[in-house]
Amino acid sequence: MTVIKKKKRVSKKNKAAWRKHCDINDVEEFLEDQRLEERLGKFDTKPDEELFVLDTHGNDVPEEKPDIKPDIKHQTAKQRKRALLPVTPKCFEVLLPTSKVQDPNAKRNHVKPVGSKPSDLSKLTQQRQLVKGVLAKKLETRKANKRLAAEKRKKSKSFRKTYDKNIWGDESLEAKGVPETLIDDFISTEAQIHNVPTTKRLRAKPPPPKTVLKRKAVDIPHPGVSYNPSFQEHQELLQEVVQHEQKMMKREAHLYRVTTGLFSKVTPKEKENQWREEMSVGLPQPHDPTNDPEPEEAGDNEYKAINPPVKNKKKDHKARRKQKERILEKERLKREKIDKKKITDIYKLRKIQASLKDKESRDAEERTKRITKRKELEETALPALNARKPPVKEPEFIDPKQLTGDLRKIPMTSNLLKDRFESFQRRGALAATKIMMKKKRKLKSYFKSGHKVTDQDIDRYVKRSAGKK
Amino acid sequence: MVAKKKKKYSSGEGAQFMTRKAALKKLQLTLKDFRRICILKGIYPREPRNRKRAQKGAGGIKTLYHTKDIKFLLHEPIIWKLRELKVFQQKIRKARAMREYQKMKKYFRDYPEINIDHIVKERYPTFVDALRDLDDCLTLCFLFSTFPSLKRVPPDQSLLCRRLTVEFMHAVIAAKALRKVFVSVKGYYYQAELEGQTITWIVPHHFSFQPQSKDEVDFKIMSTFVEFYIMMLGFVNFKLYHSLNLVYPPKLTAAFNADTEKDLVDERVYVSERIAAMNISVARIAGANEVEELPEIDIFNTEDTDPQKLEEAKLEAEKVKKLKTMFKGLKFFINREVPREPLVFIIRCFGGEVSWDRNHFVGATFDETDESIAYQIVDRPTMDKQYLSRYYIQPQWVFDSVNTRSLLPINKYLMGAVLPPHLSPFVDKTKDQVYIPPEARALNDPNFKPLSEDGPSEEEIEEDSEEEKEEKEESEDEDAEKALTKQYQQEVEQDSQSEDESDDDIDPEKKKLAKEKKKAMAVTTGVTFKENPYQKEIEDKQAFRLREKLVRKKHRNLYKSMKAGQEKRKKDIWLLRKKRRLHDEKVKEENKVEKRKQKMQMLEAAST
Repeated sequence: MTVIKKKKRVSKKNKAAWRKHCDINDVEEFLEDQRLEERLGKFDTKPDEELFVLDTHGNDVPEEKPDIKPDIKHQTAKQRKRALLPVTPKCFEVLLPTSKVQDPNAKRNHVKPVGSKPSDLSKLTQQRQLVKGVLAKKLETRKANKRLAAEKRKKSKSFRKTYDKNIWGDESLEAKGVPETLIDDFISTEAQIHNVPTTKRLRAKPPPPKTVLKRKAVDIPHPGVSYNPSFQEHQELLQEVVQHEQKMMKREAHLYRVTTGLFSKVTPKEKENQWREEMSVGLPQPHDPTNDPEPEEAGDNEYKAINPPVKNKKKDHKARRKQKERILEKERLKREKIDKKKITDIYKLRKIQASLKDKESRDAEERTKRITKRKELEETALPALNARKPPVKEPEFIDPKQLTGDLRKIPMTSNLLKDRFESFQRRGALAATKIMMKKKRKLKSYFKSGHKVTDQDIDRYVKRSAGKK
Repeated sequence: MVAKKKKKYSSGEGAQFMTRKAALKKLQLTLKDFRRICILKGIYPREPRNRKRAQKGAGGIKTLYHTKDIKFLLHEPIIWKLRELKVFQQKIRKARAMREYQKMKKYFRDYPEINIDHIVKERYPTFVDALRDLDDCLTLCFLFSTFPSLKRVPPDQSLLCRRLTVEFMHAVIAAKALRKVFVSVKGYYYQAELEGQTITWIVPHHFSFQPQSKDEVDFKIMSTFVEFYIMMLGFVNFKLYHSLNLVYPPKLTAAFNADTEKDLVDERVYVSERIAAMNISVARIAGANEVEELPEIDIFNTEDTDPQKLEEAKLEAEKVKKLKTMFKGLKFFINREVPREPLVFIIRCFGGEVSWDRNHFVGATFDETDESIAYQIVDRPTMDKQYLSRYYIQPQWVFDSVNTRSLLPINKYLMGAVLPPHLSPFVDKTKDQVYIPPEARALNDPNFKPLSEDGPSEEEIEEDSEEEKEEKEESEDEDAEKALTKQYQQEVEQDSQSEDESDDDIDPEKKKLAKEKKKAMAVTTGVTFKENPYQKEIEDKQAFRLREKLVRKKHRNLYKSMKAGQEKRKKDIWLLRKKRRLHDEKVKEENKVEKRKQKMQMLEAAST
């Protein structure tokens, strides 16, 4: 075992070794005390009230806190903000000195950052630049730059208002979308068109739907909608309107018949009677002799089941034979008839042919009718792009009394914007949708439970006021 | 190894379509942005042939898009812009919530705008394509130009609409492209012809803006349409102005300058500014001539040379040429009660000069006292002070004159007169096989003269009868002349015959021989070949019948029914005309009898 011997002499060559082998606690403590004093101030200079607290109650009695509410006046938000203004913001508090140690260097020299103070040399150069006009130019460029930036911003906003190129013209660079800075003879075409978006489609776009392509944007107006129409044309328009209206009425009537009309109406009295009847099912009724069932002539008191049991009675051979013969006879007669018809049909061939031809021609006619009708329908049918159907076009009509033939007094009935909107829908450019409106939040109003005023309260109030008098 | 099972709807119609929801997911856009980009790029929902299959077995009706359309949208650079906008919108929303209005203002100032001119080029590869699709664009732009700033419409949109529409009208004026006008209850229908494309648009009547109810029209969608159409109309205007050798953008009145962002508050002031702007002629490019007139139609020997059609085309071209300069050199003065905008536009389109009361509205070019004014347009029954040097007419005269393509006689349109009906110029020309009463025909065709005026005043009847008498006399004169010539010819013939006869009685047989010989040897004077019109007609008819036989069996029935229909309609027209004629004659007779009676009564009264 080796005994660790305390060395008599140790090297205190370097700082670490010195620290290790020297006891400097007392010094440290002293210094600590001194610093504390410096930070908090000297104890001897402080008054006793600051250092000590008078204990008026014993240890076992709990301390009574005085119930004093802080005197806070009600302040508005503005006042609160105002009050906060002189207070140093919390975020800057870290920057303030916390120790009470005074700055050992009472008067510090303010050192200006480099370049802020003109040196002799800089004064000279500045003078030279002023004479040369460099400074003035600098100022100018600064202004120009500012202006340019604003302009650029404005331009980026206003390209909608400037139409300065022929996009269908010859393939000029501007039309292609090459930026202005790249339009120069010395810039290679590769560089010019490097970032230009291709006009050629990466993927083929399928042609727009037929309804969009083929239907006219602005329908040709019916001559009857003129502000001063001729009688005949106006009548024609009127006929159209009448037909349209009749169609609508018919549809409405149909809908009524199919829905509401299906259910018969019952008067309240009838309803009550029904209810009474239903509710009193199974209850003993007062005896009514007219309602008595007819007395059956059950002379013999024999038991009879409601459903008498069925007996599987077998047919005998004779019956079977008879049945077979009957069937065969029927079959034979049928065959005979057909054979006979075949023979007679030979003589009827012409007639049959004629009837066949007739039928064929009729069928063909009907087919063509059907096809043309379908085509017509296809041309005018409203596109079904959504669960909601686009509105049917209604003919515009104006009461002849309102038509004065005066340009100043044209009655305004149609809404052109709505007309356009619906035209888009009818052409299939827009799916007909229901416009969703933002709902206003409905506030539920109620009385606070303590503030409810009931009839009883009112009575009580009245009584009390009467008693006072 | 078993081949991998093919999943249902992975090919065919099921793979061709995509629901809107799927499209939103694929493009990673919100519905609002998707709607916008669809409108801008011209992508429309589709109607599938088999809905069940297209919806991958799902029931109901869903909004479907072509998968290729959506894939095409995927490459659109605008989508990235939309995403940038989204960030800005978030910032603005945040600033608003934090009540940092300074910041919000700055964000609004720097809010990026989407440039869509490449889309215009992409959707309309040629200028003609753009013109073909201009109907919608113009109608919407004219409509939005009347709107005040609305909640869901960008504030500069209606201003821009105003500027662009006036510019377009100027282009139409310079090109003299207007063809037809129709005043309907809805608004003014205009039809112009630009580069061979007919463009129809509606301009609403100018009344004060009518509040639109929110639940009828989606303003956001409409304003997106307008956003695209503005871009398109701007470029169309640019191209039109350059093809007309005009300077673009034109210097219009102060209200239309883009620099002055001051909004004209008063609607009336705006309207008068707009009309004033229309009355200024647009600056031409220095050194440029007037646009040369189109040359006359050349006749090429194409395969189906129908001389009648060619002739019709030529006539049409002639008429249009006349129409273009119909009002040239004429001065119009518009009274203050007349709606000026359509009239100024129309009159300027056909070369006229317009002015109005200088004290009421801006932009007047000459005063009412100008003696060179040819027409004053009024819409009131009487005027206190009238000038002898001009006609006072109602505005409908201008519209009707344009539609008939000639200056109509003004007697029906004089001040205070009951106007004839304003007929639509858009009636289908193919349905011409209908009976048109002579009054309507006279309205449509100024050259048409009804056979007999019905129901004129008594004096006119007298004049008429006198005229008729004169005509009869003239015809008798002509008959006399004809008779004289006939007589002369007959005499000449008789003479020649008599000569022959005198020769005959010497030696008939010899003479006969000699005559025959002579005939064989004789040199007769050449006669110019005269086409017998009747003969020719017969031949033509025969040829036509032969051609009819060549109609293929497939179309024969159709052809027959068409012919039968034509015949029927012709017969109907003939019948109605005959009825009318008989009726007119009867009325005339009755009138005459009545008049005679009156005269007799007068005479009797005078004598007693």
